[in-house]
Amino acid sequence: MIEQLTFDVLNDEQKYQHFMERINRGEKIEADDWMPDDYRQALIRLISMHGISEIMGALPEKEWVPKAPTLNRKLAIMAKVQDEMGHGQLLLRVAEDLMKPLGKNRDNIMQDLFSKRLKFHNVFHMPSPTWGDAAVIAWLVDGAAILSQTMMLDTSYGPYGRALKRICQEESFHAKHGESLVLSLAEGTDKQKQMLQEAVNRWWDALLMFFGPKSKNETGHSNVDKNIKYKLRTKTNEQLRQEFLTKYVPKMKLIGLDIPDKTIRFDEDKQEWIYKEPDWNEFKKIVSGNGPKTNERLHLRQSSYEQNEWVREALGHISSAAVG
Amino acid sequence: MKKDHHESDAFYEEFEVFSKKKDGSPIQHQFSLLAPNEEMALIMAKENFFRREPAVDIWVVKRSNIRKLAQSEKEALKKLDKPYRETKGYADLNRRWRAFKEKGKDEWLKGEKEA
Amino acid sequence: MSFSEKNKAMTELLYQLADDDFIHAHRGSEWLGLAPHIEEDVAFSSINQDTMGHAAMYYKLLEDLGEGKADDLSHRRKPEQYRNAIILEERNGSGEYLESPQYDWAFTVIRHFFYDVSKKIRLESLKQSSYEPLSEAARKILTEQYYHLMHWEVWFKQLMTSTAKARKKMEAAIFKVWDDFGGVLTLGPYGDEMVKAGLIEDEEVLKTRFTERMQKYFQSVDFKLVTEPQMKRGDGRAGVHTPDLEHALSTLSEVYVSDAEAAGW
Repeated sequence: MIEQLTFDVLNDEQKYQHFMERINRGEKIEADDWMPDDYRQALIRLISMHGISEIMGALPEKEWVPKAPTLNRKLAIMAKVQDEMGHGQLLLRVAEDLMKPLGKNRDNIMQDLFSKRLKFHNVFHMPSPTWGDAAVIAWLVDGAAILSQTMMLDTSYGPYGRALKRICQEESFHAKHGESLVLSLAEGTDKQKQMLQEAVNRWWDALLMFFGPKSKNETGHSNVDKNIKYKLRTKTNEQLRQEFLTKYVPKMKLIGLDIPDKTIRFDEDKQEWIYKEPDWNEFKKIVSGNGPKTNERLHLRQSSYEQNEWVREALGHISSAAVG
Repeated sequence: MKKDHHESDAFYEEFEVFSKKKDGSPIQHQFSLLAPNEEMALIMAKENFFRREPAVDIWVVKRSNIRKLAQSEKEALKKLDKPYRETKGYADLNRRWRAFKEKGKDEWLKGEKEA
Repeated sequence: MSFSEKNKAMTELLYQLADDDFIHAHRGSEWLGLAPHIEEDVAFSSINQDTMGHAAMYYKLLEDLGEGKADDLSHRRKPEQYRNAIILEERNGSGEYLESPQYDWAFTVIRHFFYDVSKKIRLESLKQSSYEPLSEAARKILTEQYYHLMHWEVWFKQLMTSTAKARKKMEAAIFKVWDDFGGVLTLGPYGDEMVKAGLIEDEEVLKTRFTERMQKYFQSVDFKLVTEPQMKRGDGRAGVHTPDLEHALSTLSEVYVSDAEAAGW
């Protein structure tokens, strides 16, 4: 027993050094392992935002579950929105385990969401007024999410990596689902094509914003450097945005869609896309909880959470009664 | 709105979920979930983790019933090499068999000549 | 009985089965994102997908009988042509699903639990149906019914035996659902023809099985109900419906009927 105390007797600085050696060797950190507060906070910020974005992301798509045009589309979109909730479940579990030593649980995450302390992705603050929006979300918003999630698969935090692995496996179904929705509209009547184009116009800026600003010059702060140091992520926001444009712009053009940016072009010399910057002040406004649909969706989530409080109370009662 | 955190804490119990993929395979850890009790944990586990993946058996275990290793204990699992109990400790065997085979061939050839 | 009598009995039965599952799955799916906790949200959605899938199987059987395309049958009929029970079309609570829905989880648990108990009994009977494609569909659907029933049975038992507040909400929901649950158990105006054609057993037989089964569940949680399930608001099998159905159908078909020229979605 005494022999096993070797790790415990290290001072904080030695523990930190030991921790960074593990990170740099490519080892995976687990929930119960020692970690610097800075790392824990970076993880909580990243993963609780990711998780709650999945949960809030279910809401704009959920609007289209009953309205999905055919039996098959109804089934598929139900399965897809369910997966988003499932991804939220996985990610919140990872965040909750990190918050537990701080005396917090899922209820705190929900309260932080309602008070706008906990932020969620810009795209889920936006309206989705037509079936065309459902298609664009499924194809392009999911496409963007797949790129950023795949990039983090090798993250230094073991539980996050395992959650992402499950998520990425399901995203391959989502990608096909999104393509299928978009192709059906692109192959369809003029009215259907127009519906799709209008949705693309509505979503373009939000899609560019999805990856975040190039550097902190645009919004005043950024956690990218820290996340790279801790091997939580491997690519910058701009690298991901370039990948997105490379993957989707040619496909959009192929099916006859206009890119809502007349200046966009691929610069062969620099080997990169030149595009019109979205309005980063607008981005800041949206993610700090002042987007067009923010309050409505938060209200929907909060009111349902509070209305069902009696259920959690009732079953919490059973659990404690059973334990004695 | 004032909230009774004690009740919601009791609702949010942690359960670890394990499953067996197919007949004959070992039970493997899948993920964890929150549920107020075992029965609920089980009906949640099936759809939360096996919507697409096959499973022929599912276990749920309350996390507080698991004795895990502390970090010091995990660090202490790193062992010194014990070559005598692994195959790599016996890497010289091939060379020695080869020597016998070479020698055997010579012996045999010698026998042939003498006959 | 004549071929056309038998055919009428068959299509009427299939519309009942299809419409029940279709509208019930829709009401369930409106909970997506709003259930009491996230794990339940995910689990509940699987049940709704399965149920919507069952509706699609029945609509396909109707399509095979020449009634029209499955998507048209589910999305283009008038409310009075639907054959689902009235209790299944009822809203989950007041409010729109996108704006301040005041959904009632106790009502949802009770309605789903009772429905899945009766659905299992009905499917067991349909396994013996004289119409082979229907008996085959029943056998397939039954494989998914075990876990649906288990799910609602756990919720029913736990909420009925927890706090006084929960018990009160659950009992109120039982009375509410019971008042119209007779509408699920009836075979409607063509019931006799269905039985004569050997498509399904007599509704009285099925109803007795259901009430006996429910009495056992009630006893297990120390609850008593002496009345029979009623049909207070009318018989959905005869095309009687509430504004809730019309409202739901206009949402369900909004996109499908929005472009008359569209060949695909």
